[in-house]
Formats: sequence, C-alpha cells, structure tokens
Amino acid sequence: MRQINLIFLYLAIILVTSCASTSKQVPTPTNTMELDVFSSSVDQLLKNKDFLKSEILKINASKPSIQRILNESDGFWVKGNLKRANSELERALRISKNESSVFLRLSHIRLEQGLEVESGSFAARGLLISNVSSWERLLLNVYIKD
Amino acid sequence: MNFRISIKYIFSILTIVFVIFILAVVSVIDRRVTSKLDGVLWTVPAKIYSRSLEIAEGGKVNINNFLKELEMLSYEESSNPQNPGQFHYKENNIRLFLKGYKKQESGLYEISFEGNKVKSLKRQDGIRIDLISLEPMPIGGMYPSHMEDRLLLDWTQVPDRLVKILLAVEDQGFFDHYGISLKSISRAFFTNIKAANIEQGGSTITQQLAKSFFFSSEQTLKRKAVEAIAALLIEFRYSKQEILLAYINDVHLGQSGKRSIHGFGLGAQHFFGSSLKNLETDQLALLVGMLKGPSLYNPRRNPMNALNRRNTVLGVLRRDGLITEEVYMDLNIKPVKTIKPSFRSETKYPAFHDLVRIELRNNFEEEELRSEGLSVYTNIDPIFQASLENNIVLTKEKLVKKYGKKLEELEGAAIVVDIQNGEIKAVVGSTNPSQFGFNRSLNAIRPIGSLVKPFVYLSALEKYQDFNLTTTLDDSHLSVPISNNSSWEPNNFDKKYHGNVPLHKALWQSYNIASARLGIGLGFDSVGKTFKSLGIKKKIPQYPSLYIGSFEMSPFEVIQAYQTIASDGFYSPLRSIRDITDIEGKSALSYPYKIEQRFRPEPIYLIKFAMQQTFIRGTARGYKQSTIDKWNVGGKTGTSDDQRDSWFVGYAGDYLVLVWFGFDDNRPTPLTGRTGALELWKNFINDINPNSSTKTILPRINYVWTDIGDGKLSGPKCKNSILTPFIIGTEPKNIPSVRRRCGSMLEDESSSVIKKLKQVFEKKKSETN
Repeated sequence: MRQINLIFLYLAIILVTSCASTSKQVPTPTNTMELDVFSSSVDQLLKNKDFLKSEILKINASKPSIQRILNESDGFWVKGNLKRANSELERALRISKNESSVFLRLSHIRLEQGLEVESGSFAARGLLISNVSSWERLLLNVYIKD
Repeated sequence: MNFRISIKYIFSILTIVFVIFILAVVSVIDRRVTSKLDGVLWTVPAKIYSRSLEIAEGGKVNINNFLKELEMLSYEESSNPQNPGQFHYKENNIRLFLKGYKKQESGLYEISFEGNKVKSLKRQDGIRIDLISLEPMPIGGMYPSHMEDRLLLDWTQVPDRLVKILLAVEDQGFFDHYGISLKSISRAFFTNIKAANIEQGGSTITQQLAKSFFFSSEQTLKRKAVEAIAALLIEFRYSKQEILLAYINDVHLGQSGKRSIHGFGLGAQHFFGSSLKNLETDQLALLVGMLKGPSLYNPRRNPMNALNRRNTVLGVLRRDGLITEEVYMDLNIKPVKTIKPSFRSETKYPAFHDLVRIELRNNFEEEELRSEGLSVYTNIDPIFQASLENNIVLTKEKLVKKYGKKLEELEGAAIVVDIQNGEIKAVVGSTNPSQFGFNRSLNAIRPIGSLVKPFVYLSALEKYQDFNLTTTLDDSHLSVPISNNSSWEPNNFDKKYHGNVPLHKALWQSYNIASARLGIGLGFDSVGKTFKSLGIKKKIPQYPSLYIGSFEMSPFEVIQAYQTIASDGFYSPLRSIRDITDIEGKSALSYPYKIEQRFRPEPIYLIKFAMQQTFIRGTARGYKQSTIDKWNVGGKTGTSDDQRDSWFVGYAGDYLVLVWFGFDDNRPTPLTGRTGALELWKNFINDINPNSSTKTILPRINYVWTDIGDGKLSGPKCKNSILTPFIIGTEPKNIPSVRRRCGSMLEDESSSVIKKLKQVFEKKKSETN
C-alpha cells in the first residue's frame, strides 16, 4: 500500500515539475491551496531518505560501462558497505567525469556518512553537468544546503 | 674408592652440563626457527603500485599512450597472442592477452579504436563487453634494512607444476624424511670424498630452509650440525605443507640493486613480469634451476649459464616422466627471455614516493610499512610520469643550449593533477628526476610572482555587483607609503604604464600596477579570504607587494590552489594514494575523493575566461584556436623579481600542470614564465595529448561583445572586439558612439540567425495559407 502511495506521489511530482516549467496559467485560489498542500507533501517526501535512496537507485548511467560499475556499487550500498560503494563510484567517475547518476549516489552516500557539506558539494558539482534531467536536478537540489 | 666416586661424580656432572648445554643449544635454535617461520619470514614490505588503467567501450583513449602502457607492463608484441602478456596491434585494432587483475579475468580480448575512442571491446568468444582493466604497475616498496623483498603466496597461487619440478630437482624424498635424508647425505659424502672437496650438498628442502635462517653460507661441520637440528625441529613443529610453502616464499633468487629478491612469487614478477600461475613450464624450470646459484644462473647477466641450467632441469623432468620427450624437445630449444629490468626494478619516481610516504606516515607506523605486506594503490599515471621526467630533462637541455652554461645548475619541479578529483598523476622534484634528494615540488618555497594574480582577481569577481571582466583598472604610476620615509612603487615587466585597462586584459597581460591597485582596493581581509577558500593554509603576509606575488609558496601549495579554480570552485585535497589493502587483499585504508564547494561557479567561469585569454592573446599565446578549444586550456605565467623564478600553471583537458624553474641558491635566471616553465608545460601537454574537454555551461552567464582596449560595449564587426562573458544583469549597457555603426545589433550573427528563422517561418506560413 505504501509503495502504491509512493508511486502516485512520484507521478504527481513529475507532473508538477513538468507543469512548473511550461504552464502559463494563473492558478485559481482553490488551485493555489491544493498546490500548497501538495508542495508540502512533496517537501515531506523529499526529506524521506529511504524514498530518496530508492529513487536514486532507479537512475541509470548514460553509458553501459558506467552502468556496470553502478550495479556493483549499488550492490555494496544496499548491503550497507558504503566504503566499497564509494570506491566503485570513484572508479566510474575516472572513466566518465560527467555522470549525474554517480553524483546523485555520492551525494546520498555522503549524507548517510554524516558528511552534509560534502553531500551538498557533490550535488552542486552534479548540477554543473549539462544533460541533467529535471527529475535528477530536483533530486540533486535536495542535498544542497544554503 | 674415593677416586672412583669422584670420577663417577665428575662424569655425572659433565653429563648433566652436556645435556644442559645441548638443551640450551636446541632451545636457541628452536627459538630462532619458530621466530623466523612464525614472524620474520613473513616480513613483507609494503608494495606500491600505479593506478590501474581501465578502458571502456565508447571511452576516450590515446592509442600511443595505451601501447606505451603495455610496454611498461611488460606485454610483448606477438603476431598470434596465446599467452598472458602478449598482444598484437594492427590498424586500430589490438588483440590483447590480459594477465588478469582482481576481477579482470586473464584471457584474450580484442579492442578496436576509432580516432581516440574505443569503438568496441570483445572477448575471445566474440561477446562484446564494456570494460577491461589492466593490472597496475609495481613502482616500488617500503623495504626493511636488509632489503629483503617478496610477494607472499598462499597455496592457491602456487601452481602444481612448480611443486613437482621443485621436488624433482631439490628433494625427491621430501614427503618421506624427517628433515634430514641419510640417503642424500651419504650420496653427497661419497661424492665429496671422491673429489676431495665439498662438491655436492645433501640438504633436503627443510635443511635449505633452516640454512636460510642463519644468514650464512659457510659449509662447516658445526654449521651442518646446527642446520640438521634446526631441520628436525622444523619438521617436529610444522606440517610438510607449511614447510614447502615457507620454502617457496623464502628462496633467494637474486638481487635487484640493493633489493634482495625472495620467493617464487616475486621471482616470477621480477624476471618475467607475470604472476607465478601464468608461467610456462620452461620459465618455472629456469626459476627452480636458479636456486643452485642465483647469481651464476641469472638469465640477465649470464644468459648462457641460465639456458644450460634450465635445460638440465628440463632433462630431470623428462627423466622423471613429468614431461614427454616431445615437450622436452620443444622447450629445450626455446630461448631464455626476461622482461626489461628497468620496468620492474626497485623504487622509481622518487618525488612521487616522497608524497606517498608523507601520506602513509600519517596513518601507519614505519614497522607496519616494512613488514605487514600492505599493497598501496596510488594515483600515479606511469605514462604521464615517464613523459614528465623525460621532458624536464629535455627542456633543460634546450634551455642550456639556448642560454648557455649558466643554466647548467638550473633546477625545476612539476606536478600533474586530475582537475576533478585532486588525484596526483605525476610529479618531479628535480631536473635530474630519477635521483632521490631535495624534492622541490614539496620543499622549494619560492615567491610565486604573477601566479598570485588570479587569486586577487577572483576575489574581485566574487563581488560581482562591483566587478566584472570589463571593469576598468588603473595601470598608471602607483606609490604606496610603507614607512615614514619610504614608499613602494611597483613596475610592470615592460617598464611601461598602460592607463585604464579592462580587468580581464590586466590579468592576461599580467600588469603589475593594475593588479596591485586592485588588491589594495579589495583589502587584505577580502583577498585573504579568497586565498583560504582556494586551499592556501599558510598565514598571508599583509604587505601590498603580496598582490603581485612576493608571497612565497611551494609548487605543491600553488597547484592545490589552482585545482580549486580549474575544477570550477570545488576544492579537493590533492591525493597520491587511492587505496591500501592488507596482505589478504582486504581494504585496510582508503583515501576517498573529498570535495567542498568553495566558490560559486559564475565568478570562477569569468576568471577561467581570462585565464584562457592568456593562451589566445596573452603571455602563453602560440597555440591554434582549435587546440585551445579542444583542450579548453587556461593558465597563468609567473616571473618573480629579477627573474629568479619561472612559473607556469595551466590546465588542458582533464589535467592541471604546474611547472617551476629556478636556482637553488636563488640567483637570477634569464628565464620568464613564458620562456622557461611554459616550455616544459607545452612539451609535456603536447606529448600526452590529453583528450578533449568541454566547457561548463552556466545558465546565468551571458556573452556580449566588448572592446579589448576600453572594455566598453562593442560588436562583432568592430575591430579589437571580444565576446566576453558576464553574469546576467552585469553586462555593460551603452555602446560608445564611435562603435554604434560596427556594433549595431542588427549586424550581429545571432540577429542574422533570427532573421533567417523568421524568413523560414514566414515562408512556411505563406505555404500553408
């Protein structure tokens, strides 16, 4: 049941993020209220580390060679071996410097290691990559602390 | 009666004394044997390795560098690669028999290249794969004082063939005796009597192991007796398997300089550049044959002796039915081939080793490093290192030729780092880079000259409401009072004043007065904060000449600060080590990629633009625009007072390279940053030919045409105009009347594109109507 709720929320987030960039309609007061309620739900959801992790694990690399390394890294990460997961991610970055999927993982792993500043820095670095999707951009922004 | 009692008494006393003496001797020998077998024998120095090269399908790779890497890893060219360590290169295609490393299986692979990209990677069976890893190159170790080096093997790494050959040649009755073989001793005894000399030993493998514990090769009866007792004790305390494995790991197989090569594991690497498991029967036969006299049968020094000895061993194998007559005939005629010793010798790359040692000693005791068998995986790129070492020597030679003998004592240092993650790829600390000694990359503390200017200008550009790339700086006479009766008056290198100049031009032309005035205007606090954010940890002196580089730093400190700029404002501590594993291959310590955003990307973008102009029209000009774009280069020259220091720091592709030249006694040189350090920078970068790099695209940056001379708005058709980046909202607004015509936006390229688009749109519209 919880998973179904998450799927709905996920779809809703995509809808809202895509609308946010294209819609020119002026929302009615009722819509504004619904949007506020919805935004706070999104906010809550993005604060949920487990949700973020599960979303990040779904994000694939743009190259098969990097995806192969990500699979190895994800295997270690899921088992809680952050050190090995990290070392695989660094390996991936040496082969391809601009993989947002890698920076997302590094951001979250650093957060799990209690390194918030570094987590934010990895996310900021990921945001400099030119072909980052809107969803990845939204997720990366979660780690950036002002 | 009394006499008889006293004799009996004395005899008893002597017997007791003798027994006590024997027990004491046995106890001493026992202690020695157990301490060796349980401890010192397993003293394995830390091994230091280069990075492992990984290539991926679709990834970028420089073919020449890849071939050089294969050569350095002792791969051999062969028209039909069938064994580990062989390859064949033909027309953008390499068939490579990998030796295997960690998860990378040994086997035949095919790599196809297209330009500087890997087009495809295939296994022998034709199945496409996406990644292969070459093994890292051993580059040295942390050896104990007796310089014994070994690669410790366990049973899974010892091929059965080796055991069979070893027992056939050295000790056929190994599994039957108790440490001493009376049969062997009597055979040796009669042979030696006949020859009236000691010609043959009757030592078992256990006795040979015992002998190696006492660091002496003399063949006296006393020594033999001690060895015999030791052998019996070893057999009493340890199993046959343990004894054999200890022997395999302990045998002496020669010297490499001061380093002593022990064990078959290291022997295989040292002579054949391969793991023991990958050796052919003839190679194993040679190693076993060498036990009789590691120096006499050294295949590099005495190839004929080695060949004869190997064939003698092969003869024993044929006699004992371990190989057939046919195999014997094949192997017997094979030449003895070893790898080039220079690639597998003792510690190389002294300056890099200094860095590694500093990092290691923060976490490990000296004793641990010399005995625990750690494997230290570093970030060094052996291709880059070789190129840097070669080019510092060649560049100095050229400079000596050009400027004369006065430069013969010229010294230098250079460092190469990966911009993104701060990994140190190569380093030299002397113009004689292969010798250990004073490491100038770490320890030469010198005035950095104009290398300080980007730090000052960045400090200004961070205040983007007040400064942009075209902000006018005053490069006219400046006098700063520094005490009651004196003042400081900086000069430009060309001894001229340049009046009002745009900020970016003042940087790429390296104007001292404009820079000093800018720094003074910003103040020590502001500039000091930027220094700190760049990663400069030392105390910043508060005098105005700081702003034009009287500040002293080591090359290592300077490149750390420039790494933060080159990586778009993300500071990463420079690292020489990647990972350390223990003797069992488990991770003991890793040095993860650390990152901290110290600057917003926009001011960095602007400073990097100005640093690129250094190559286009400034002090480092000379490259074609296409090369500048491909590598996305940027950099800064630096020359200290009286040309005592020649600096250049610049990035190309994924790498940042810093070079310094000067004399140790600080006397003036005839070199500037451009004529000295930049030469080495260019020679190195041209040699490694880095892969292309793309410029970061920032949405908050907008380009407009400005005039190089006055920095005001201009247009594409105006003379001396340059497309200049601005943080949106900070662009100049008004075009000077003299440039209204040439700078008209209607003439702009972008306008003409829009015009064409409009025409197409209108045409389509009329068609639909």
